[in-house]
Amino acid sequence: MSSTLKESSPEFEPLIVAFCCNWCSYAGGDLAGTSRMNYPANVKVIRVPCCGRMSPMFVLRAFQMGADGVLVAGCHPGDCHYSTGNYHGRRRLSAFKRLVEFAGLEKERFAVRWISSSEGDKFAEEMRLITDKIKALGPNRKMRDTRWKTIN
Amino acid sequence: MENNKLNRLEIITKTLSQDLLGGRINILLGWEKGHYWWQSRPLFIRNEKELGNLVWDSFCAINLSRYLPELLKDYDKIGVLVKGCDSRAFNRLLQDNMVDRSRIVLYGLPCMGMLDYEMLLAEAGQEIDSIDEKNEMVIVQTKDGKKQVDRSKVLMAKCRDCLYPEPVVYDQMLGEPFDRKQPPERFNRVADLERLTDNERYTYWEKEFSRCLRCYACRQACPFCSCIECFVEQENPRWLGKAYQPSENFIFHLVRAYHGAGRCIDCGECERVCPVNIPLQEMNRKLIKDINELFGEYEAGLNASEEPPLLTYKPDDPSAFSEE
Repeated sequence: MSSTLKESSPEFEPLIVAFCCNWCSYAGGDLAGTSRMNYPANVKVIRVPCCGRMSPMFVLRAFQMGADGVLVAGCHPGDCHYSTGNYHGRRRLSAFKRLVEFAGLEKERFAVRWISSSEGDKFAEEMRLITDKIKALGPNRKMRDTRWKTIN
Repeated sequence: MENNKLNRLEIITKTLSQDLLGGRINILLGWEKGHYWWQSRPLFIRNEKELGNLVWDSFCAINLSRYLPELLKDYDKIGVLVKGCDSRAFNRLLQDNMVDRSRIVLYGLPCMGMLDYEMLLAEAGQEIDSIDEKNEMVIVQTKDGKKQVDRSKVLMAKCRDCLYPEPVVYDQMLGEPFDRKQPPERFNRVADLERLTDNERYTYWEKEFSRCLRCYACRQACPFCSCIECFVEQENPRWLGKAYQPSENFIFHLVRAYHGAGRCIDCGECERVCPVNIPLQEMNRKLIKDINELFGEYEAGLNASEEPPLLTYKPDDPSAFSEE
């Protein structure tokens, strides 16, 4: 097997990038914060206007630059602020998820979730779940730019 | 067959010369013999003399539709010879508003599938002087004599699984349709790869992509790559570095394939032009297979007025990510 696929170390803290839609999931994250719910600090949130805004490059670039997992969170289908953005996003991200899995990425590393602005508890729970899963999987070396500094 | 073929070419040339002289078209896109007998390269015909170089043989693999967007800037009326895959490439360009239908005359040619010189060589086992074709057989002439080979054995990879050998759109048909055997299942190889583990698949692709020179020939030949500025060359934002890096190669190929999601016509030009033989069709076909499974059967390039699956949606679409 290639040298880029290595074993994880015991004190591994994953880096997870969460792309959250401005109108639902980001507000959901806000609610989790104002309600003083805990979620792991491994998750770094990036706000996007809509999950239909997601470019495949955002996800791949995150993996390339050191992310161990990527989560895209958007409004529940039917609740999009722009009416149809997440319907389009659902099609595109479905095709994309299968493609990156075909390229060899573990299916846990790239996830898409629907989290509304009233679901602060779900937001915190999903962040905990993905962090646990990726901790168990170990660091990601696939698609990683070898010139990039390794955090873990 | 050789005689029939000559007659066929004569008929084609006659029609085309009438149109060229009559002013129906200002320029005609066809093929001529390249440096070697097993190469047919694009030919841009402006007059009767240039028309004399026209050939239509089993090596005219290159897709001519791809030249149209550039050519339309300089010429008013363009005639182009189209095989099955070229005609679907034309539909693809039409859907992207890259070509003007009213300024183009399509001459349809049913295609028996193009021959792969490398495979002919492998069958002959030595240098080939010339070939002759008889129905489903190819007669290979070497210095030690003749050898008969089954045509299906020496077809180009892109022609082996071809579903539409006859043009799906044309203004004038220059050839006659023929019976053709049903092609084999085209997703077999994708299904084989899907059965591997994640790490095995990653190692497979890492090895394949490590050969990539990033010459972007796959992009240049591709009828779905019609962006004015490609993401690989964009400076702001700079999506992709210029250096050779396995990671950058990986990302280039994933995004190239993904840009064709629901738009790839499965013509195999990318794989044919690849100088290092990366199996690019497997990536493209994976997307075709998934989109068919998830959002219903769709074949790109068949109907230019039908909306590609990733430009539309249904409220009750399935998704590939479960909430588990």
